[in-house]
Amino acid sequence: MNEFLEHGLNQNRRKFLSKLSLGIGGLALGSLMVPGLFDASNEEELFANVLPHFAPKAKRVIYLFQNGAPSQLDLYDYKPMLQKMHGQELPASIRNGQRLTGMTSSQAKFPLAGTKFNFAQHGANGGWFSESIPHIASMSDELCIVRSMYTEAINHDPALTFFQTGAQVGNRPSMGSWVSYGLGSENKNLPAFCVLLSKGKGNGQGVYSKLWNNGFLDSIHQGVQFSSGEEPVKYLTDPEFIDRGDKRKILDEIASLNQEAYKNMGDPEIVTKIQQYELAYRMQMAVPEITSLQNEPESIVKMYGPECLAPGTYAANCLLARKLSENGVRFVQLYHQGWDSHGNLPAEIVGQCKDVDRPSAALIKDLKQRGLLEETLVIWGGEFGRTNYCQGALTKDNYGRDHHPRAFTIWMAGGGVKPGVFGETDDFGYNINSLPVHVHDFHATVMHLMGVDHERFTFKHQGRRYRLTDVAGKVINEIIS
Amino acid sequence: MDIKKLIRQGEWCIWFLNPLLLLLVIYSETSKTNNVLLWLGKLHPLVLHFPIVLGIAIVIYFLFFQNNKLEENTEKLILVGNALLATIVAILGLLLSKQDAYDTATLNLHKWGGLSIAFISWLFIYSKNIAGSFKKIIALAYLWVLLFFTHQGALLTHGENALSMPAAAVVKAEEVKKVDSSLTVYEKAIEPILAQKCVSCHGPEKVKGQLKLQSPEFIIKGGKDGNILTNFHNGEALLLQRIHLPNADEKHMPPDGKLQLTLEELTLLSKWVKAGGNFTKKISELAKTDSLAILAMAYKAPVKGGGDTKNKAPDLKQYNSSYLTVNYLFNGSEEIAVNFFQSSFYKKEQLANLVKIKDKIVNLNMQGMPVTKEDLAIILQFTKLKKLNLNYTKLTLNDLEPLKSITSLTNLSICGMDVNQNSLTKFLEKAPFTEINIWTNHSNEKEFQQLSASNKKVKIIIGDNLDTEIIKLTSPIIEQDSSIIVTSLDVVVKHFLKGTVVRYTTDGKEPDSLTSPIYSKKLRFTKNTILKTRAFKPGWLSSDVVQKTFYKSDIHPDSIYFVTNPDKKYPGTGAKTLIDYELGEQNFSNGKWLAYRDTMMKFVIGFKEMRPLHEAHFNAFVDNGAYIFPILSIMIEGSNDGKQFRKLNEARFPSLEKTEVVRENKSFSCRIPGEAAYKFYRFTLLNLKKLPKWHPGKGTPAWIFVDELFLN
Repeated sequence: MNEFLEHGLNQNRRKFLSKLSLGIGGLALGSLMVPGLFDASNEEELFANVLPHFAPKAKRVIYLFQNGAPSQLDLYDYKPMLQKMHGQELPASIRNGQRLTGMTSSQAKFPLAGTKFNFAQHGANGGWFSESIPHIASMSDELCIVRSMYTEAINHDPALTFFQTGAQVGNRPSMGSWVSYGLGSENKNLPAFCVLLSKGKGNGQGVYSKLWNNGFLDSIHQGVQFSSGEEPVKYLTDPEFIDRGDKRKILDEIASLNQEAYKNMGDPEIVTKIQQYELAYRMQMAVPEITSLQNEPESIVKMYGPECLAPGTYAANCLLARKLSENGVRFVQLYHQGWDSHGNLPAEIVGQCKDVDRPSAALIKDLKQRGLLEETLVIWGGEFGRTNYCQGALTKDNYGRDHHPRAFTIWMAGGGVKPGVFGETDDFGYNINSLPVHVHDFHATVMHLMGVDHERFTFKHQGRRYRLTDVAGKVINEIIS
Repeated sequence: MDIKKLIRQGEWCIWFLNPLLLLLVIYSETSKTNNVLLWLGKLHPLVLHFPIVLGIAIVIYFLFFQNNKLEENTEKLILVGNALLATIVAILGLLLSKQDAYDTATLNLHKWGGLSIAFISWLFIYSKNIAGSFKKIIALAYLWVLLFFTHQGALLTHGENALSMPAAAVVKAEEVKKVDSSLTVYEKAIEPILAQKCVSCHGPEKVKGQLKLQSPEFIIKGGKDGNILTNFHNGEALLLQRIHLPNADEKHMPPDGKLQLTLEELTLLSKWVKAGGNFTKKISELAKTDSLAILAMAYKAPVKGGGDTKNKAPDLKQYNSSYLTVNYLFNGSEEIAVNFFQSSFYKKEQLANLVKIKDKIVNLNMQGMPVTKEDLAIILQFTKLKKLNLNYTKLTLNDLEPLKSITSLTNLSICGMDVNQNSLTKFLEKAPFTEINIWTNHSNEKEFQQLSASNKKVKIIIGDNLDTEIIKLTSPIIEQDSSIIVTSLDVVVKHFLKGTVVRYTTDGKEPDSLTSPIYSKKLRFTKNTILKTRAFKPGWLSSDVVQKTFYKSDIHPDSIYFVTNPDKKYPGTGAKTLIDYELGEQNFSNGKWLAYRDTMMKFVIGFKEMRPLHEAHFNAFVDNGAYIFPILSIMIEGSNDGKQFRKLNEARFPSLEKTEVVRENKSFSCRIPGEAAYKFYRFTLLNLKKLPKWHPGKGTPAWIFVDELFLN
C-alpha cells in the first residue's frame, strides 16, 4: 500500500511544483505522511549518505572479462589424471548424467583430453600455471585463485548476462551500474562505469551492450563504452570555431529548457539528460588527458607489451584501465573476446594467452608499484569453464573443449582479497570438491569488498526490491584478507 | 417511547452496576474472570470517549447555563446516560487491566480515578437540589478528575510520550556512545534498538505480555510465553519470529502503527540472537570480518531530535567540487578521504579550505597535482593522515622532510620523484612510514637492494623498469584500406612507439636494418607492389615483417558470369562482386563475399576484343575457426568462342598446418605464360574437399571465400 501512497504523492509533488495550485498545506501534509519525500532530489544522493555500509577494502574494480570462457584445464586447474587417461571415456560416475550443450550432447563418445601444456607451480602459495601464461604465473603471490567457481547457465549469452547482471535474462543492471548507482564516481569528470572491448584471434563470441546496461536504474549509470579507435570517446571534441565559453552558454540554455520541460512533465530521464550533458562537457577536458597513451614511459610500454600503444588491443585497454582507475573511475570493465575454443584449442589458446598474459600481469604490477593495488580489485575470468572431455575429434595433441559451467577458475588481485589458491575440483576437474563459489556468492563478495552489504543494497522497481544478488548469495569470507 | 420509563430503567441499571463496580475494584487482585468478559475489556478504549464528551458538556452546562435550564426530563436523561456510560467504561477498564501487565502506579491512579468519575456522575443525577455555587465547585472538581485520571489511561494505552512533541516521541533520546569496539555487542547495538523500538510497551512503564526488555535480567526472564531468545517457534527464536512476521499479522512486533525496525536493526537482532544472544561478548572479541561485529560497529543509535542519519556528521558537500572529492570512508565513519583530480583545475584554496576538517582527513590523494611547498605546509596540518599519494608532483625528497612529523602517516607514495639510495636512507631515518612507493620509469631494483634488505621497518616498493628485458616491437601499421590501384595510391605507414624507425622494401625482399630505405613520408604506388615493412629501435628486437600487396587493376572485363553458383548464404551481389573494386572485410557475412563449399567455383569473364592477360590475383579470406581454408588451386582456361576452352595454367596452394590460427585476407595468384590473347577466360577454383584430421570439422569440405579478382 505504501508504494501506491508514495507514488501518488510523487505525482502530487510534481503538480505542486509546476502549478502551485494545491497550496502549501498539501505539501506539508505530503511531507508529514511520507517523511523524506522532499529531502533529496534523487536516489543517488540518498545512497551517497548510506553507502558504503562499512569500511571498503576496494575502492575501485577492474574486471578483465575473458569472453568466450578460457579453459581452466589448460591454464590454472592442473589435472594429471586427465593426461594419464587421455583418450579414455569420461566415467559416468563423474558426469553423473549432468546436462551438456547441444554441441556435444549427441557425441557417441566423451574422450578425456589431458592438457597439452606443461604446468608448474609458482610463488609461495603453490598455484599451478600453464606454460602459456608465464607472466601471470610470475604474479602468483598477488593472486587469489578460485578454482571452484560455478554458474547456472551453459551457453554464452545467458552465462555472460548472469555474470554481469546477476540474472540470465538481460533486463537487470550490470554490476558496474549497481556500483555507479550505489557509490557514484570518485572523479566527477569521468563516468563511474567504463567499458573497453578487444578481440583475440580465437573463436569469437560477441559482446552486446546489454551487458553494461543500466537496466531499471537511471540511465546515467549505464557503462560508457570507449571505442577502439584513436578517438576513444566518439564526438567528444568540439567542432572547429566553437570555444569552451560558447559551449558553456549553449549547455546552460539547453539545461534551462530541459528544466522547464522537467517541471511540466516530471520525467526523471530529463534530469538525467542534463547530468549527461554536464558530464560530457567535463569529460571533454578529462578524457584526452587520460586516454593519450603516447606519453607513457618506455618501461611501461615494455611492461604491458608494445601492443599497448595500438588502440583497441587488450594491452592498450589494460593500460587505459589503469589510467581510468587511477583517475577515480569506480568500475572499468574489459572484455577480451576469442576464448571459445570448441576445436583446435591448443593453437587457439596460445594466441589468446599471447594477447592477455603480459598485459594482465603488467596491470597488477603497475598498480602495485604505484601503491594502488590495495585499493583496486582486479578480476580475471570468463563466463564458465570448459569440459574435460574432447569436443570433436581427439588426437594425441589436438582437441577442443565444450562449455562447462560446473567448475572453473577465476582469479582476483588487490582490493582486500587474500592471495592463495582456494577451492578444489575432483581429479577430473569436472565437479567441485571444496568451497563452491556461485556467481551470486562472487557478486556478494565483490560488493562486500566495496563496503556494500549486498542484502541491503536494493532498488525498488515495479513494486519489488531488486538486488544484484537477487535473493541469494553469501560472502565468501575465506578469500577476504 | 416513554422518556420517564427510559430514565427509570437507566437508573436501575446504575443501581445494579455501581455496587458491582465497587466489588470488582475491591477483589480485582484476586478474582479470575472468564475470557468472554475479558474480551469485552477491549471495548474500553472505544466506549470511554462518550462519557468524557458528555461529562465535559455537563460541566459546561452546570457552570454557564443554570439560568437557562433544559427541560427537566431531558436534563435527567443526559445525566443518567452519562452516569451509566461512566460506570460501564469503568467496568470495562477493570476487565482490560487484567489482560496486560501495566505500570502499577499509573494503573492504580487511573482505576481510582475511573471509580470516582462513575460515582460523581451517579451523584449528578440527584443534584437538582444542591445550591448553585456549590454545584459549580463540584462541577470544576469533576472536570479536573475527568481530565487528570483519563490522561493516566491515555498514558497506559499510548505510552508515556503520548502528548510530547512528535519528534521526541518518534525517537527516544539516546546518548551516543563512543564508537568503541570494547563495548559489548549488546551495549553498542542491541540495547539502543530495544530502548528505541520496544521498551515503551515492554519496559518499566508498560509491561505487555509480561515482558520487560529494558535490561538483560528482564530479557532473560522473558514474558508470558517464556524466554524470547531460547524458546523456539517454528524453528525461530520467539523474538525473531515476532519481528519477522508480516506487518499485517496481529502478532508482528513492533505492532503496526508503531515505529518499525529498520532492515539494519532486523539484521542486527537476528544475527545477535543466532549468535547466542550473548550480553557480555565485546565487539573486539568477534572476528573482524564477522558480520555481527561489522554491523554493530557501524550501527548508530538515532540521536535526540530526529532520526535523520545525515545530521550525525558534518556535511561535506561544501568541500567537494568537480575536481575534488571529499568523503567519509563509509557511512558512520568519522574519517575522511580526499582525492584531487585534473591538475589543470587545481586550486590551492580548495586545499586550504580542508583545514577546517584537518583532524578527520586520513587519506589524501594528490597524484599529479602541482603541489608547492606552501601546499605542503597546509598538508602538514592534517595530523591524522595515514595515507598520502604524492605521485608525479614536482616536489623533491627534501621538501617532504617535514612530513615525518605526522606520526600516523604510514603509507607514502612518491612515484616519479628522483630518489637514490643515499637520499632515501636519510629520508627514512626516524620516519613513521611502514610502506613507501618510489617507482620511477628509471628505478632500478638493484640500486635499492641494500637499503630494502637493511630496512625491515619500511616496505620499499621499487617496482620494475624492465631494463634487462628485451622484447619484440610490434609491426608497423600500413594505413591504406584499399589494395587496388586504379591510377595511383598513397600509402601511409606508422608506428605508435616513439623513436622507432620503420624500414620498407617494395622488391619482395625482407627489410633489414642496414640497407632498406627508411620510411619518412607517404609512399605512392602506380603498379603492382608488395610493400614489406618492419620496425627497428635500439634496445628492442625488431618487429615482424608486415606486408601488403597492392594491385594495379587496369583491365576491367566487359562481362562476367557464373558457371557454378555460390552458396545461397553468401551470394554477394552476383558475379560482378568479383570486379566491383570493393573488398570484403573480416566480417564475412557482410554481403561482399562469394563463398563455395559443396561445389567448385567456376566463372567466365569476357572481353569485346581479344585481350592478353599475364596474371590473375584473387583476394580471399581464410579463417580456420570458421572452416574457411585457403584456395586449393586455380585453373585458368582461354577461349575465343566461349565454348571451346584451352587450359592456360594451373596454380596450387598449400593448405594450413594444425598449429596455425589464421583469420585474415590472403591473396592467391596465377600467372598466364605467353602472349596469346583471348576473348573469354574461364577460372576454376577448388576448395579442400576434406578437412584434415586435426580440425574439428574433419572429413567435411572446407569453405572458400573470394571477393575480388585483379587482372593484368
